[in-house]
Amino acid sequence: MTFSDRSADERVVITGIGPVTPIGTGVDAFWESLTQGRSGARRVPELIEAGLKVQIAADIPSFTPADYMETKSARRMARFAQLGVAAARLAVADAGLDLEAVEAERAAAVINTGGGGVTTIAQQSEVLNEKGPGRVSAMFVPMMAGNMASCQVSIELGLRGPALTSLAACAASVYAFIDSRRLLLDGEADIALAGGTESNVSALGISGLANMQALSRRNDDPEAASRPFDADRDGFVFGEGAVVCLIETLQSARARGARIYAEILGGGRSADAYHITAPDPDGDGAARAMSAALRNARLNPDQIGYICAHGTSTPLNDAIETRAIRTVFGSHADALAVSSVKSMTGHLMGAAGALSGAATALALYHGVLPPTINLDTADPACDLDYVPNTARDCAFDAAIVNGFGFGGQNGVAVLARVDD
Amino acid sequence: MSDDASLQSRVCQLVADQLRQPLEKVTAEAHLIDDLDADSLDIVDLTIAIEEEFSTDDHQLEIPEEDAAEIRTMQDLLSYLATAGVS
Repeated sequence: MTFSDRSADERVVITGIGPVTPIGTGVDAFWESLTQGRSGARRVPELIEAGLKVQIAADIPSFTPADYMETKSARRMARFAQLGVAAARLAVADAGLDLEAVEAERAAAVINTGGGGVTTIAQQSEVLNEKGPGRVSAMFVPMMAGNMASCQVSIELGLRGPALTSLAACAASVYAFIDSRRLLLDGEADIALAGGTESNVSALGISGLANMQALSRRNDDPEAASRPFDADRDGFVFGEGAVVCLIETLQSARARGARIYAEILGGGRSADAYHITAPDPDGDGAARAMSAALRNARLNPDQIGYICAHGTSTPLNDAIETRAIRTVFGSHADALAVSSVKSMTGHLMGAAGALSGAATALALYHGVLPPTINLDTADPACDLDYVPNTARDCAFDAAIVNGFGFGGQNGVAVLARVDD
Repeated sequence: MSDDASLQSRVCQLVADQLRQPLEKVTAEAHLIDDLDADSLDIVDLTIAIEEEFSTDDHQLEIPEEDAAEIRTMQDLLSYLATAGVS
């Protein structure tokens, strides 16, 4: 099924997926974990040692920067940029693209983030306070700046087109899909590496979120802590990682015989204009972003088969997102499937939207819906089909990917299956 | 091992670690930029690492920026440390 009457050079598709996530690195491991319902959360030694209220997170202790870059390059990057470079390399490899064959000036990097190098700021603040100004690293600024994931991807991979970064909290890497598609349609680039990265699983990051009362405190059972839409949910599990997708036009993908995971049909954005952390209680901003995305993609609500929910596992988000979905989709809300992959991966903030987008592209490609795990007890305020606990075979044609951020930034991308 | 030889081996090890270069490349003749692939940011961080390594409770080593700017080879560095009384 094809939704678009646009020509192949006006359609933008995902042909490579590079996940570096708490549930797996590389597309095969990532997809297997998503369909097996595996959790990436654990008790984190650093958080236990610091005696924090929240001692669980979904981090990636096995990540080895030297597998993806020279150790000298790695030393000049904060971990969020290292993760971004690794994910970008994986995306290119997965796409089977020979970067040498691409005109470098026509290749863009759009790697978004929530916090950038927050951990570097924390470390160097300690150096400043304990050892004095003369000991602050000359690498401090170019390591911590949030734009550096895009810049390092451009440097490491030799991409000489636009290198862009949006800071948009949990919506950030939904924005990456929307903006990359426009870069290609506007003719500013031929390919884009689009995604998000986040790495702030540290005593500082966890303390701030814990004191906001945003995080689950289920320290004794980390794998059950992220339970979106479940009646006993008590907050999200903070995660780290990066997901980057290789994006090109359908024409270019077909010309090189590439495997096509999904088309990016469009996207929509809105601001709640309400509160720095709490979502609008009516879900108005979320609903407007979903409606805008459908309009932009020229789809009716009843053409959507699956929603990859923002689904953070906080009491407020999941109920309000459910309400917003009902507002936009009306009676069709009971006919579509909704799931939250954050039940498995934790909440990767600036990387969350790209992770959800990658999961959705794979779901479209394989005809399998990733589940919402830990959904044991129904919540009357969450009354949709959340694909509880077990992946489901389900061929469907179009999906939306939700990302709703602190500050009230909302992003929704529309993906669709592409027939060969 | 003489004090000089001991100092030299400590400095070489530290430079190798800091610049992520194999120890055998870090000879007394090596040029930090041309041979060891350092840039100006690396040299600043290298001098910070050297200050930390060679400071004691009794004597804090400080390499002023204008002195650091003159250090371009391993020999420059070793001579500077010898002059500064580091052993």
